[in-house]
Amino acid sequence: MSKAKAKESKDRKIKVVVSKVGLDGHDRGAKVVSSLLKEAGMEVVYLGMYQMPEDIISAAIDEDADVIGPSFLSGEHLVYTPLIVEEMKKAGLDDVLLVVGGVVPPEDIPFLKEMGVDEVFSAGSLTETFVAYIRNNVRQ
Amino acid sequence: MKKATEKAVPVAQEKDVDWDKYLAAYYEKPKSSLTWSGLDVQEVYTPQDLPPEKYKEIGDPGDYPFTRGIHRNMFRGRYWTRREVIGMGSPQDTHDRSKVLVDEGGSGLNTIADIPYEMGLDADHPWAQHEVGLTGVCITNMYDMETMTANIPLDKVSWSLITASAVAPVTMAQYVAVARKRGYDLKKLRGTIQNDPVHFRYCGFRPASPLDLSIKMGADVIEYCTKEIPQWYYTTVNLYDLREQGVTAPQEVALGFLIARLYIDEMIRRGYKVDDFAQRFAFYVSCHIDIFEEVSKIRAARRIWAKLMREHYGAQKVSSQQFRFAVHTAGCSLPPQQPLNNIVRIAYQALAAVLGGVQSLHCCSYDEPICLPTESGHTQALRTQQILAYETGVTNVSDPLGGSYYVENLTNKLEEEIYKVMAEVEEVGGMYEAIRTEWLDRVFEKEALTRQKEIDDRDKILVGVNMFNTEQETTTPLGVQRIDRDSVKRQIEMVKKLKKERNQTLWKEKILALRAAAERRENVIPYMIEATEAGGTTGEMMGAVRLAFGHSYDPMEIIEAPF
Repeated sequence: MSKAKAKESKDRKIKVVVSKVGLDGHDRGAKVVSSLLKEAGMEVVYLGMYQMPEDIISAAIDEDADVIGPSFLSGEHLVYTPLIVEEMKKAGLDDVLLVVGGVVPPEDIPFLKEMGVDEVFSAGSLTETFVAYIRNNVRQ
Repeated sequence: MKKATEKAVPVAQEKDVDWDKYLAAYYEKPKSSLTWSGLDVQEVYTPQDLPPEKYKEIGDPGDYPFTRGIHRNMFRGRYWTRREVIGMGSPQDTHDRSKVLVDEGGSGLNTIADIPYEMGLDADHPWAQHEVGLTGVCITNMYDMETMTANIPLDKVSWSLITASAVAPVTMAQYVAVARKRGYDLKKLRGTIQNDPVHFRYCGFRPASPLDLSIKMGADVIEYCTKEIPQWYYTTVNLYDLREQGVTAPQEVALGFLIARLYIDEMIRRGYKVDDFAQRFAFYVSCHIDIFEEVSKIRAARRIWAKLMREHYGAQKVSSQQFRFAVHTAGCSLPPQQPLNNIVRIAYQALAAVLGGVQSLHCCSYDEPICLPTESGHTQALRTQQILAYETGVTNVSDPLGGSYYVENLTNKLEEEIYKVMAEVEEVGGMYEAIRTEWLDRVFEKEALTRQKEIDDRDKILVGVNMFNTEQETTTPLGVQRIDRDSVKRQIEMVKKLKKERNQTLWKEKILALRAAAERRENVIPYMIEATEAGGTTGEMMGAVRLAFGHSYDPMEIIEAPF
């Protein structure tokens, strides 16, 4: 690897696509998390509200994202997470981290992880915990 | 014989305790003495901080400017309304849960729209189908409203309809259509409708509530109810949702009042005098965790509203000057970590509401940050209210904190701070401009980020989150509320069937009449009632009005107008 390439790779910021999904517009959490990840030195593409799974995946491909972060509130994680996982598989995004945030009952977390979600951060998570998780688990 | 002492005594392996931490806790004092909103307060307040001659600016309970409450006898006259918010699954599911809480001692019905309904989408809209019933109830047509209200005496109960967006006139029309069908005298209907479309753009409903339509629809409900349902509280301007965006207590009141003024100014523009309608204005207020700040906020709000109505708008009637409000305990203050702790938080917040002289109260359930309330969670929240009402003695005396050197000073301080925020909005050209230029969006974003950093940096303590966060549940203590998908599917099928089976000629005539009325800028509600009776749906009625105002038929821009 050339020196220039190595430097670029070392300096490349972790890129995260954050999004609301479906009709739910409770976006306080998604926006705050986007700002905090930026402050932690990551590059964030915030897609905003009214995104469907296919919109999120196509953005992740276009942006060459390392992390996909959908944010849920109303229980719709059970509907949309399987669709996001399916779209990720179709697109071959095997090495992209899928990190779910928002209001998710603890009972659903094992189910989501079994399905292919890497981690879930519910409301009340401290910034240091999800920033560290992403840094430690993102593809190298 | 061996000596007993020689026998090895089994010693249980003891967990090490951090004694240094324990001793530090003994000597620990609070890190900060600021209020939740960051206001500085003194170590102690004395008579010097409240000279007796200042009392006339405060006034007795029931007297202008109502700092101490809008009634002299407060809860001796009547308890606050114990009104838990309900909305889940299908109209039938919501009806069933409502009856449970009636049985358990609730005293006011309070049903909340789900996201598709607030967006003005029918249950069978392609974007709605997955989400119907997840956060409330979806009323698409008259049949849904009849199901939700079945066998409930609408002329006797007080019903709070939580539809906040520009869809509020549809909800009002659907309720009136059902009441008319059952033969009730509209003059006897009592209740409230949230009807605050302007604020709802900050809660994720912007496509459904364009600013022009928000003010028009808000004022249409106010105008219609004033004429036809005089006992109805036609708006509860929602300060609560603003607070949930992360703003401070003074910002909550200042921004909410300025939004309220947009509706009042529109009514005046339509030729009404403030005393023609203002007596049925109401508010929805948050109660967060800082008890004294919340009580002071409410007392300051009452005083500011009274002065605004009397001095600025020239209201003569006492009832036009009174700040009437419901409280929703602060959902955003409740973390999912160690969720049983939320019962305690909610109880303190409810206490603040009652000490502040609340008219109607919703206590969150402890599982608010996890799922919709389970039946046991819902009932427990109602019990929190009942313990407060029936056990604590808090109802004995009006404004029990009135005259406290501290609380009167904090009330003054809150009043000052509220005026400061109002002046900031004036500087950017007033509330309409603050909204149009997205100045207000930036305020919310900045404040929300600050709130998270306060928790991250431990400037504010949240037990179970940034302190004492040792145990983290893997299950929810009273279970998780799930939505019955089959029940929702049945509702969606019924909507499709009704659309096919209605009298298409009559339906089309009524929908087109509604659109024409909206084009003439008339009040749309009488036309919506007729369209509802003719089988018109939420999405169709909203679409007709949207088209008349130059917006897309479908806020999601997926489907075309069927007429």
